[in-house]
Amino acid sequence: MARVSKIMLTGVPTLKKEAKIEDAARLLAQTQVGCVVVVEDKNPIGIVTELDLVRNAVSKGKSLKEPVGRIMSSPLTLMTPNMKLDEALKIIDTKKFRKYPVAENGALIGLATKKDIVNAISDNLRFHRNIQNIVLILFVLFELFVFVIGRYVPQYLAFGA
Amino acid sequence: MPLLKNHWITLRKRQVPVIVKVIFDMIKIRSIMTRNVITISQGSTVKEAAQLMSSKSVSSLVVVENSKPVAIVSENDIIKGIISNKKSVKDVMSGEFMSISPSAKFSEINNSMRNGKIKRFPVVENDRLVGLITETDIIQATRDFTRFHQIVQEVILAVFGFATAFFLFYFSPIGASVFG
Repeated sequence: MARVSKIMLTGVPTLKKEAKIEDAARLLAQTQVGCVVVVEDKNPIGIVTELDLVRNAVSKGKSLKEPVGRIMSSPLTLMTPNMKLDEALKIIDTKKFRKYPVAENGALIGLATKKDIVNAISDNLRFHRNIQNIVLILFVLFELFVFVIGRYVPQYLAFGA
Repeated sequence: MPLLKNHWITLRKRQVPVIVKVIFDMIKIRSIMTRNVITISQGSTVKEAAQLMSSKSVSSLVVVENSKPVAIVSENDIIKGIISNKKSVKDVMSGEFMSISPSAKFSEINNSMRNGKIKRFPVVENDRLVGLITETDIIQATRDFTRFHQIVQEVILAVFGFATAFFLFYFSPIGASVFG
C-alpha cells in the first residue's frame, strides 16, 4: 500500500497567525489548492479553507482586517508522510474533513486531500485486480492444459482420469 | 431481495431482473447526483449567497433563470468577489460551465474531475436543472464502485477457488475412488 508522502501536494500556501483575513482571501484566490495553512515557526496550528472564509467571515459580515486566527479551523488533524493510505482513509472517515496538512516532526511539509487519497486507493486496487485477473486467466489455461494432458496422456501423470 | 421475489423489468427491450438494472444504473450520473440543488438569482448580493451557502451547508450555488442554469457561484468565486469589492452575484458568477445529461456515464466526467479543471457539473434534462455533480459526489461514487468491484472480485475468486479444489479432488486418487 502506498504512503501519504506519495500523493500529498507540496508548496501549500501558508500564513502567520497575525495575518489578516484579507491576506488569506488573496492567497485563496490566487492558488488552486483551496486552503491556507496557518503556521507558527513552520508548525501548522490551523487551517483556513474556502469554506471557513465564506461561512465564518463573508456570511457573518466580518471585517477583512481581522486576524485569520478568528476564522481558522483549529485544532488540526494532521497526517504523517509515512502513514499508509488505508490508515489515512480511516482518519478521513472519522473526521469528515477534506484537507489534511501533512507534518513531519511537527513541521508542515505538504497537504493531503480526500480526493487524492480515495483516487489513489481506487487506482491501487484496480491495478491489483487486473493482476489478479491475469493470474486467474493463466491458471485457468494451465488447468485446461492439465485436463487435456490428463485426458489423453494419463500414463505421464501421477494422477489422472 | 428483488431478485428472489422475481421482479423483472425491461432494460433495452429485454426482460431482466431488477438487480441487473440496479447494477447497470450504478454508473449513471442520475444515481450519483445531488438532487436538491440550492439555486440563487442573479440579482442577489454576494453576502446573501454566502449566507445561503452556510445555512444550506453547500459549497456552490447554481444561478438559474426560469429554472435554466446560467452560471455557477462557488466559494472561490465569492472570495475573489470580496477581495475586489464586488457586491452582486452577477459580477462574481462564472458563466463557463459544462452541463451534462442525467443518463451520461460516471466515467465521462471522472477524468475532468481528476484533472481538477472543472469541479462542478449541473445536470440538465429538457432545459431544466435536475441535479448537480460535485467533487463530494464523485468521491463517494468512486468509493462505492471500488467497494462493489472488490466484492465482485471476491465472489469470482471464491467460485474459482471452489472449482479448482473440486477439479483437483476429482482427479486425485481419493477423488477417483469417491466418484468412481
